[in-house]
Amino acid sequence: MFRQTLTCGLLAVSGLAAPAYATEDGTRITITGEFIDTWCYFSGVMGSTDSVVGTSHHTCATWCSAGGVPVGLLTEDGKVYMVLKIEGDTNNNGGDTLLNLASDTITADGLAYERDGLNYIVVEKVVSNAGITRLSHEDFGAIPPFAVPEPKE
Amino acid sequence: MIRATLIAALCLGSAAQAHDGKVHTTDAEAAAHAASVPAGLPLPFDLGGAFTLTDQHGQQRTEADPDGHLQLLFFGYANCQEICSAALPQMADITAALAAQNINVTPVLITVDPARDTVEAMAPAMAKLSPDFVGLTGTDAELAVAYKAFSIESSLVFVDPASGPVYAHGSFIYLLDGDGKFITVLPPILSNDRMIDIIAAHAAQQSG
Repeated sequence: MFRQTLTCGLLAVSGLAAPAYATEDGTRITITGEFIDTWCYFSGVMGSTDSVVGTSHHTCATWCSAGGVPVGLLTEDGKVYMVLKIEGDTNNNGGDTLLNLASDTITADGLAYERDGLNYIVVEKVVSNAGITRLSHEDFGAIPPFAVPEPKE
Repeated sequence: MIRATLIAALCLGSAAQAHDGKVHTTDAEAAAHAASVPAGLPLPFDLGGAFTLTDQHGQQRTEADPDGHLQLLFFGYANCQEICSAALPQMADITAALAAQNINVTPVLITVDPARDTVEAMAPAMAKLSPDFVGLTGTDAELAVAYKAFSIESSLVFVDPASGPVYAHGSFIYLLDGDGKFITVLPPILSNDRMIDIIAAHAAQQSG
């Protein structure tokens, strides 16, 4: 419900709306990874990297994406690709597709770029979506705790 | 809505550790990795272009820096409590740190909220950030030219009873040369040190 409310009601749009892409410079790849909130993942402000992925951080990840924090694709080997664009969205961070995919583990075809030591990806096709696969709330609860309100008595 | 703001504030309230797509345990490790990686291939953008807007002093300002400095360009708004509240102070801090290395950079904000970011309103907001900060506003038509040049879209997310309209907008910081030509993009999640390393490397290329 919460997620639907976000998606339907608060959606934000922003960023690189329709950049002209010069595909010849990218490297075509197929990768599997989780859509993460790059701010909380890299800053350490919420704790360890294990605690800011998966179910424990899903609410915060969604809000951060809505707030403009760039989304990343975290692969199994720990590499993070900053998502420049994804199929179905004309925008970058904050778009509907990125919010719907927050915390999901997907397999994606796309073009990868490396610039200034950073990895970027333009996701051309989401081949499959396994949903949220890391049940990190079992170890960490909600991160941050107030992301999930206590039920009213 | 308040919860959203709280979460966003907590998420955005602290400086990012150094990184570059990998988690580094120390700044030294991150810097060593950064130094080992060249600028790389251009990103798949065709961004930048001419625009003429008005700065917080009422003077016309184009995409070119009057002093020929490198420029850090961000699209946002002065009242923004979300990503701008992290990115704009970071741009000011980076500018100061680079100046200490004799690398002159001008931080520039182009508003996506011209109704509130008037010339009069932007002056004190920019002064709070840094005396070097340039805040640009304009008519809808003038701003549309700049948005188109950088493929920027923004939209109203909701109206916060306390702070007013909240907009979603792009969060990347663009590094431009003195003529306003796009050099590279900087995700605002990078640490100050990492951004400084990247900008310094491009500054060296520009002057070399």
